[in-house]
Amino acid sequence: MGTDEQKLLGKLLDDASFINWAKNKNKNDLEYWNNWIGDHPQNIEVIENAKAIVSGIRFTEQLPNEKKISREWAKVLAHIEDKREFEPQKSGKNGKNKIPLAAAAIVLILISWSGFRLFENFSTTVHKTGYGEIIDLKLPDGTSVVLNGNSEIRYEKNRSRDIHLKGEAYFKVKPVPSTNAKFWVHTDDLKVEVLGTRFHVNTRKEKTKVVLDEGSIHLEFINGEVKKMVPGEIVSFSKYNDKAVHKKVAVSTPYAFWKDGTYTFNEIPLGEVMQNLEYTYGIEVKYESDKLEGYIITGGVPNQNLDICITAIERATNTRIIHKNNTLLIQENLNN
Amino acid sequence: MEIASEEYLWYFFKNGDVNAFRTLFEKYYPPLHAYGIKISHAPELTEDCLQNFFIYLYENRADLGDVKNVKSYLFISFKRRLLKKLQGRNTRTRIGDTPILGLPVVFSLEEIAETQQVRSLCTETLHTLLNRLPPREKEVVYLKYYCEMNITEVSEVMEITYQSVLNMLQKAMKKLRKESENQLIINILKKH
Repeated sequence: MGTDEQKLLGKLLDDASFINWAKNKNKNDLEYWNNWIGDHPQNIEVIENAKAIVSGIRFTEQLPNEKKISREWAKVLAHIEDKREFEPQKSGKNGKNKIPLAAAAIVLILISWSGFRLFENFSTTVHKTGYGEIIDLKLPDGTSVVLNGNSEIRYEKNRSRDIHLKGEAYFKVKPVPSTNAKFWVHTDDLKVEVLGTRFHVNTRKEKTKVVLDEGSIHLEFINGEVKKMVPGEIVSFSKYNDKAVHKKVAVSTPYAFWKDGTYTFNEIPLGEVMQNLEYTYGIEVKYESDKLEGYIITGGVPNQNLDICITAIERATNTRIIHKNNTLLIQENLNN
Repeated sequence: MEIASEEYLWYFFKNGDVNAFRTLFEKYYPPLHAYGIKISHAPELTEDCLQNFFIYLYENRADLGDVKNVKSYLFISFKRRLLKKLQGRNTRTRIGDTPILGLPVVFSLEEIAETQQVRSLCTETLHTLLNRLPPREKEVVYLKYYCEMNITEVSEVMEITYQSVLNMLQKAMKKLRKESENQLIINILKKH
C-alpha cells in the first residue's frame, strides 16, 4: 500500500463523519460519503478497509467474576495493611494533616467476617442482629446507625465515636463542630475516619473544587500546603497554576460530585443520581412511578460496587431497587 | 469525563487514598487478568504476577509520576512484568537470545460474539480466521476490539508506532473482509 493510501486511511479513521457512514448512521454523512466514493472510485479498497476497521469484531469478554475480584482485592488489601501496621498508628495527633479517608456524612461499610478480634470487657456495649433483621440505633453522641442483618457493632462505654463493626451498617454521623470530634469505624480490613461534616468536591479536568457546608476539614494540596476550611467556603486549586482560590458561596446550592470512590449528593433528585449510575455502570433505570424520580438524596454513596451503591440509595430514599440483568427498577418501599 | 476522572483517580491513588486504589483495582483487574492469560497461557503465574503488580503500584505510588493514560500505562507495565517473569521461567527452553515476546493470543469460540457487523461470516469461520492471523496482528485485534483501546493506546502497549498498528490492523481486517466476501458469493451461489 502506498503512502498516500496510508495517509487516507489514517484520515478516514479520524473522521467522525466517515465513522458515521461506516456505521450506517446520519443521513447527511451517508449521502456525503456515497457521493465521495462515486467521485473517487480508485479509493474503494482503502474505503472498504477503513470501514472494516471501524466495524471491527465483537467479542464477548471472558473476565474473572466479581467474587474472584473481591477475593483478590482482599489479598492485596491485607498485604498493604500489614505494611501500614509498621507506620505510626496514633493518627489522632497528626491526623489533621491528612485528607480524611472518608468524610461523607453517610458511610456504608461492608466487611468480611474472618479474623475479627476484640478484647472484651464488661464496659463494652454490643448491638447485634440476626439474619434478615434490620435495626435502627441512635448512639449516645447522636449518630444514627442502621444495622443490617447478621451484623454487630461494639464500642467502649463513653467512646461511642470509636466503633468496631462486623457485617454491614449504615451511619449518619452527627457532627460535633465545636470539637471537630472524629468518628472512627474499625473493621478487620480497615479503619474509617469520618469527620461529622458535609462538604463537596468537584474535580474538572484542570482543577479541584471543594465546598464545605458544615463542620471543618483539612485539605492537603499536591504542593504540600495544608488548608483548614470553614463552612460556606469554596476552595479551588489547580496543580497547573499551583494557586488556591478561596471564596464564599451560598451553601443552599444543590450539587453532586464524585470523590474518593464516593458519590456525594446535596439535595439532588433521585433521577439525577440515577443518571450518574447509568453513566458509570452502563445500566438502565426504570421507575415504577414518576414521583420517585423527584425523591431527594443528601449524603454519600459509595460507587465502587453497584450493589453497595444500590443499598445505600435504597436506605437514603426509602425505596426498593430491583437489580435484574442490566436494569434497575425503582419502587416504593412498602415495608415501612 | 472518563479521562478527567481517571486522572483524578490516579491523583487520589498517588496520595495514598485506598478507595481510589480500590476503584482502579476493580476496574483494571479483570481486563489485565484476561490479557495476562492471553499472552502467558499460564493462569496461576498471571494471577501471582498481577497481585504483586498491584501491591507494587501501591507501595511505589509516590514514584510513579503523573500518568497521561492510566489504561495503557497499566497494560504496558503489567505486560513487561509478566513477560520478565515468563522469561525467567523459560530460560532453559529458550532458543538462542531471542527474547520471548509473549505467546500468541488464542481466541476461544465463546469469546466471539454471536452478532457481528460482518454478517456473512459465521462465528466458527470468524474464530478460525482470527486464530490464523499472525501473532502481532492477533494482538492488535485483541487490544483494539477486545480491550476497546484506541490506536494510540494499542501502539503504547505494543511499543510500536501508530502507523505500524494501523498497517497491522488493516492487514488483519482485509483478510477477514476478503473471506467474508468469498463467503457471501458462495452463499449466493448455493441459493441458485
